[in-house]
Amino acid sequence: MIRNYLKTAWRNIVNNKFYATINVAGLTVGLVVGIFMLLWVQDELSFDKANTNADKIYKVGIVGGTGISKQIFNNIIAPVATFAKSEVPEVKDAVRIMALGDAPFKYKDKVFIEPDFAFVDPSYFTVFDFPLIKGDKRHPFQDNSSVVITASTAKKYFGDEDPIGKVVMMGQDQQAKVTGVIADYPANSSFKYHIMMPTSMYNYQGYVKNKRTYDNKSFVSSMDGDWSQFGFQTYLLLKSDVNMAALEKKLQAIHERNKPEDAPVPYLTQPLLQMHLYKADGTDGGFSTVRTFGIVALMILIIACINYVNLSTARSMLRAKEVSMRKIIGADKFQLFMQFMVETAFLFVISAVFAFVLMFVLLPYFNQFSGKQITFSLTNYNIWLCIVATLLGTLAASSIYPAILLSSFEPLKALKGKVTVGIGNVAFRRILVVTQFAVSIVLIIGTLVIGNQLKFIRNKNLGYDKENIISVSMRQDMKDHFEVVKNELLKNPGVLAITRAGRNIVTDGSSTGDSDWDGKPANSNMWFNQIYADKDLIPFFKMKITEGSNFKGVVADSAHFLINETAVKEMGLKDPVGKRLRVQTITGTIIGVVKDFHFNTIHKKIEPAVFQYNPNYCWNLYIKTTGKDAQKAIASTQGLWKQYNNDVPFTYAFLDETYAKLYTTEQKQGSLFNLFSAIAIVISCLGLFGLATYSAQVKTREIGIRKVLGASVGKIIALLASEFMVLIIIAIVIAMPLAWFAMQGWLQDFAYKINITWGVFIIASVGATLIALATISIQSIKAALANPVKSLKNE
Amino acid sequence: MIKITNLEKFYRTEEVETIALNKLTMEVNTGEFVAIMGPSGCGKSTLLNILGMLDDPDEGSYMFNGIEIAHFNERKRADLRKHNIGFVFQSFNLIDELTVFENVELPLIYTGVSSADRVKRVEEVLDKMQIMHRRNHYPQQLSGGQQQRVAIARAVVNKPKLILADEPTGNLDSSNGNDVMELLTDLNEQGTTIIMVTHSEHDARYSHRIIRLLDGQTVMENIMV
Repeated sequence: MIRNYLKTAWRNIVNNKFYATINVAGLTVGLVVGIFMLLWVQDELSFDKANTNADKIYKVGIVGGTGISKQIFNNIIAPVATFAKSEVPEVKDAVRIMALGDAPFKYKDKVFIEPDFAFVDPSYFTVFDFPLIKGDKRHPFQDNSSVVITASTAKKYFGDEDPIGKVVMMGQDQQAKVTGVIADYPANSSFKYHIMMPTSMYNYQGYVKNKRTYDNKSFVSSMDGDWSQFGFQTYLLLKSDVNMAALEKKLQAIHERNKPEDAPVPYLTQPLLQMHLYKADGTDGGFSTVRTFGIVALMILIIACINYVNLSTARSMLRAKEVSMRKIIGADKFQLFMQFMVETAFLFVISAVFAFVLMFVLLPYFNQFSGKQITFSLTNYNIWLCIVATLLGTLAASSIYPAILLSSFEPLKALKGKVTVGIGNVAFRRILVVTQFAVSIVLIIGTLVIGNQLKFIRNKNLGYDKENIISVSMRQDMKDHFEVVKNELLKNPGVLAITRAGRNIVTDGSSTGDSDWDGKPANSNMWFNQIYADKDLIPFFKMKITEGSNFKGVVADSAHFLINETAVKEMGLKDPVGKRLRVQTITGTIIGVVKDFHFNTIHKKIEPAVFQYNPNYCWNLYIKTTGKDAQKAIASTQGLWKQYNNDVPFTYAFLDETYAKLYTTEQKQGSLFNLFSAIAIVISCLGLFGLATYSAQVKTREIGIRKVLGASVGKIIALLASEFMVLIIIAIVIAMPLAWFAMQGWLQDFAYKINITWGVFIIASVGATLIALATISIQSIKAALANPVKSLKNE
Repeated sequence: MIKITNLEKFYRTEEVETIALNKLTMEVNTGEFVAIMGPSGCGKSTLLNILGMLDDPDEGSYMFNGIEIAHFNERKRADLRKHNIGFVFQSFNLIDELTVFENVELPLIYTGVSSADRVKRVEEVLDKMQIMHRRNHYPQQLSGGQQQRVAIARAVVNKPKLILADEPTGNLDSSNGNDVMELLTDLNEQGTTIIMVTHSEHDARYSHRIIRLLDGQTVMENIMV
């Protein structure tokens, strides 16, 4: 029986190559794109799940600031973990991570700047599933100067030699002996530290060897006694069924008991499994994108299924005779149903084979494009599950309806040509076409909106000049000789100006809530973003002073502050210039107000900022060049770098590129959406093309009669095209509000955004209409130009 | 074998009701060869379809081998049909995607005959119809006469008790038409009951009895000698 089904299926494909090609092409493209996107979604949802204790690990954060400056700090003070372990019964274990980043390591003549360096508690290797593959599992660190590295780092430093016992130099003078190696992190891990030293080493360097003070009076004895430095990522391993709200209160109580002046300092916890896609406060941090992509993947698969359903039901009339005969001969409904299921499955297998070949070929590009490391390994159960589920789901969606329809023909009527695929069926197909185009149009509108927002980001006046600026993160020696470096660089004709700052001007930096000013409201807990500057910073970046004056570069400036307009507003000051302000240990006067500028991504509203004159804290060197001389400027900076910091490789960045990187996610989304809408429209057009061809075939006789009666070619094209154009117009009407809501949601994530204008809708609608019209016209023109005598004879 | 009594069938559109069969009564015995004749629209085809259980009557009784089937549902009718009735059509109605062999094999597949038995029986019947040499050809590659022989082979392969033929020579030239009629006569002589609708007096002469219909009623019966 099955053999007979397959035989018929194969011969049907061979006899109808045109439709088979359209079907296979549509399904193949749909499957490739759909599966790739679902794999991406699956990967995003799988982050950190590999940890055995994943559901019992929580990250601890605190809420700082009020009003516009309210924010969540993911890095907290060190002692909370220690207290929690001893005082809070729900806590089984705790891990602290102090990620410093960009640490120079040296082995023999090899020098590496390691961005993924961190001090970690030894529990890092047991609370998470990062067990040592070499070294003593129970004691990953033998002493303060031990270091644990990943397998690939071991390879990088020591090649094939045994890494255990090897000594590397950290910075100038700190020896570090390798005592453990862990396996490389899976691609879907939120943790990527490749070189880890014990937190006890941090304690030694930061509190024992170098004394630490916050008030210039007393020294902090250890990091466990330091209630001021918010620098540790803290993870708690909890027992089962913990009341999280109560736990948060306990943590808050520990903090406030030990440092009453911070109160209130609400604590919050975030499940490890939510870290990748949610922000610390539980708001969206990427999940909506994952959801959108999942929905778009399903939409594309649905479009591909619709193609199949549309074409096969449209063509069902042509198979009515065959079906009837089979019934008269003795086939029952189920046997026919199975026959059509097998036919669809057969076509599907062909498409799936093509899809696999394509996916295999495209995988490297997909990985590059998406930043994933997905492999089609046989052992990767989840990937195959995703692929098989997609295939089966799509198969079911496209096979059942046509099979039911075809198998339920009444044989007698079908044989006589009076097939009962009347109004209902036609209406159903129309709904399908409308759905396809509505989806395509939504995607086109989405693409346009994303594109416009990206353009808006690129062209937005940030309130400072970021063009042709090179930034270099200085090291101690170079920083200490800043004036010499500056004068040397300025001799270079391509260098227009030099300045320095305490933070990278386009990204996040440090902030503080430890402040006071004349007339500070009692309930205010406003936080300042701190920008350490020299006197050239404001003119260098072409920022504007709206009131008062800039720093003059004199000693007295160390007690002077500049604040931004948002700070003025949030502080509730009328005439800020001349007012007293204390920030941490420095008490001084506000000497000027800086016009608001975006020192962060435009996802965030501009926050209060304070400029403090402290060249000593200015680690960032900024060089303004003419653009064409940028390379010369880089070369001479590198020369100077070698003079001062020869032990560390020279790195630099263009500020506008750093800025662009803030929006990498959006740019990727933008290009993915371009791709998706192109594919959706291509698949939809394939279906439309098939339907138009079919429609022209069915109407051959009608067209012939009309032509004999004197209809012009133009009229006939209009007749054929209008049938479909009505559908496209309905699709547009449905798509517009859907797209508007969807994109309004996407834009919600930006504090500064474009308005969705009518132009977007018009471009998308006209575009879709033209593409559809072009698709239909090919067939319509062919049908209209045909000789009527021939077409009437055909019937 | 067949006994119909006061059979009625109407076709209704919104405005018009047409009576296709008007209290028709007739009987066909096992082993008979009956021709049904009459002008276009007299109800011949409607009658044949009801006899073939492709359609159900609105009123009246239809006894098939002593069983009342007038009110059988589609599934029961289909089951009875596939074991008892073979069809031959004017336009052959072979399935274009299947070869001669496969077309003839199809009824056996649907009644669940084993593969080995199928080959044997199909070859047997193709041989009988003298179309064996064309077994791997597709219908489009055959002449009209050959196609109708394949259709007859398909109709008889399941060894039905009754063959219903709807103008079996209508699309054939006279020589091929005669061949087909000879085949049907042979089958009848071997015991198969045949009911044939025809416009052709020539073909009707092959039968034992001619029933003439007009406006859904029997107007005359001729017994052939």
